[in-house]
Amino acid sequence: MAKYLLRRLNLFLATSAVLMLVLFLATRMFPVDLGVALTGVEQPTQEQQQQTIKAYALDGSGFSQYVAFLQQRLGGNMGISMTSQQSVAGELVDVLPASFELIIVTSLMALALGIPIGVLAALSNSKATQNVIMALTLTGYSIPVFWLGLSLSLWFGVKLGWLPISGQLNLLYEIPRVTGFVLIDTLIADTPYSMSAFKDAVLHIILPATTLAVFPFTVVVRITRAAMANVMTQTYVRAAEARGLSTAMIVLRHALPNALIPVLKSMGLMLGAFTSYAIVVEVIFSWPGVGAWLVQGIYQRDYTVIQSGIMVVALLIIFMSILIDVLHTATNPLSRKELYATN
Amino acid sequence: MPLLDIRNLSIELDTPHGRVKALEKVSLTLNPGEVHGLLGESGSGRSLLARAIMGIPGHNWTITVDRMMWDGKNLLELDSKERRALMGSDIAMIFQDPSGSLDPARSVGSQIIEAMPRNAELKFWQQKKYKRQIAEQWLHKVGIKNPDDLMEAYPWEISEGECQKVMIAIALANKPRLLIADEPTTSMELSTQAQIFRLLAKLNQVHGVSILLISHEIETLTHWCDRLTVFYSGQVMESGVTSELINSPRHPYTRILLEYLPNEANPHAHKAFMPSLQGSAPALQHLPIGCRLGPRCPSARKQCVAQPLLIHEKDRYCACHFPIRYDENKHDHTAS
Repeated sequence: MAKYLLRRLNLFLATSAVLMLVLFLATRMFPVDLGVALTGVEQPTQEQQQQTIKAYALDGSGFSQYVAFLQQRLGGNMGISMTSQQSVAGELVDVLPASFELIIVTSLMALALGIPIGVLAALSNSKATQNVIMALTLTGYSIPVFWLGLSLSLWFGVKLGWLPISGQLNLLYEIPRVTGFVLIDTLIADTPYSMSAFKDAVLHIILPATTLAVFPFTVVVRITRAAMANVMTQTYVRAAEARGLSTAMIVLRHALPNALIPVLKSMGLMLGAFTSYAIVVEVIFSWPGVGAWLVQGIYQRDYTVIQSGIMVVALLIIFMSILIDVLHTATNPLSRKELYATN
Repeated sequence: MPLLDIRNLSIELDTPHGRVKALEKVSLTLNPGEVHGLLGESGSGRSLLARAIMGIPGHNWTITVDRMMWDGKNLLELDSKERRALMGSDIAMIFQDPSGSLDPARSVGSQIIEAMPRNAELKFWQQKKYKRQIAEQWLHKVGIKNPDDLMEAYPWEISEGECQKVMIAIALANKPRLLIADEPTTSMELSTQAQIFRLLAKLNQVHGVSILLISHEIETLTHWCDRLTVFYSGQVMESGVTSELINSPRHPYTRILLEYLPNEANPHAHKAFMPSLQGSAPALQHLPIGCRLGPRCPSARKQCVAQPLLIHEKDRYCACHFPIRYDENKHDHTAS
């Protein structure tokens, strides 16, 4: 197991190094002076120029430049934003929690609804129920997320006026920032209106989370259904039946733990598509997350923001997919079987 | 009253080649306290019969049966809940595929403990310890030396034989009235096989557990069983008390099985031509009509294209149009 973890860590480091190399090379292709692209200072003084050359080893060899680039970026120095003149690292700290909040709520929604419905689709005897569920998930899978977001906000936000369609919280509420997660901040805020602010935050997250949840939800339903249908034909389920266990016990204790293994694995595969969907959703609903921030940076040719936005998002995807792989191995005794005699 | 009484059970399977009758008009009577052997080649439908009795049909099965009585109750009329209760306590089964019959995602111990009977006198927090003790006792009885190690392991970490022992312990722990043992000792070493059979025989004698023993080993079955039922390709050929069946087989198939047993006494046996029935058992999608032994049967005639009914005669059942008759005095093998 230790060897396995070491290999995964190695994989993470190697993939990240390649990612940083791509970023390092891409920075060179920006149509501005290299020093400006690296630091974001558009009219540097003589002193600042000297400092940049020293910090990024611009007078050294390619390799030492790459090492210096790694040192600066991983040390948290991402330069300043060319439009706002603020530190990019500081802006990232502001926008990351909002994205995490959206993604966590979305994942919970997709799993909490997707797994039971997938199980239902697999266990149901009626062909009609199965077909309805499969038709709905296939539809959900193929709906473009930007169209769904716009339609939902048009219908529920504009025509019916039930839900707010942009932002994270009504500007009326002034909530001190503690964790960065608005749902938590509003709850712990020591103000008389904290409860109503929390309700407002919940109302704000419904539309973007629903829009974003449709895609992972359909994937979870389809994979749970396939895995469950497969597990239910296995001999050990029949043996459990023969022992007189009730169907509910068989599903909860024997079938579900086995069926969830491929679901977890598919979550890792889904991450890339899921992240790009999250960016689109953040833009549509003006969600103050890293995706909207990155897209705005692209519009404004804010090279430092583009670089660090891509770096953070890509590092997160790499980290999450390796984390899911490790979790998959840790929680699933069967995958440890595959590890036997492999290292 | 028989414990289990089945009349004319047919199982049809939906396969890509169409619907095939895997079992055709099978009848079986099992008396309380009896060890009943099902003898037949693999693929002759013995396991299908076992699963049908157990009540765990596959999704592509169609079962038709005239009568299926369990201890005076009609199994067909029970609802699924009553049936499930019966399966847990009264009927237990040892499966043919032991490692596949254990959940691979959970430790062996948790699965054994789950299957152990509750002790009604204890509080719920004491149950687990009690069940663990019982589980260890049963594991010891089926011949596992260090139950603690085994209970920590996952099913794919232990050997097939150990899985089989675990399945036997699980099946026996609830003290069933009928135990269906589907090739219970295939992957065990010989000494343990004997131990398991002795355990089964003891259960049968002391607790009166009826056993339906499925095997293809004639020697084993004749040694341990009170009665035998001979299967061929999904049809019952012959059924009766073991000693009578062995001494005077009525059905040509039974006689051939017994005649062609390898003769260990002959020192040249391993070099000699081994007699066997010509041809091979038919595949499911090419079953002959009528008596399925027909194309291979040495005494087949025109009438054999109609399936012979199982004829009951003095505690013997035989499904043949031309059963072998024995003259009381002469004892020769001449077909009438």
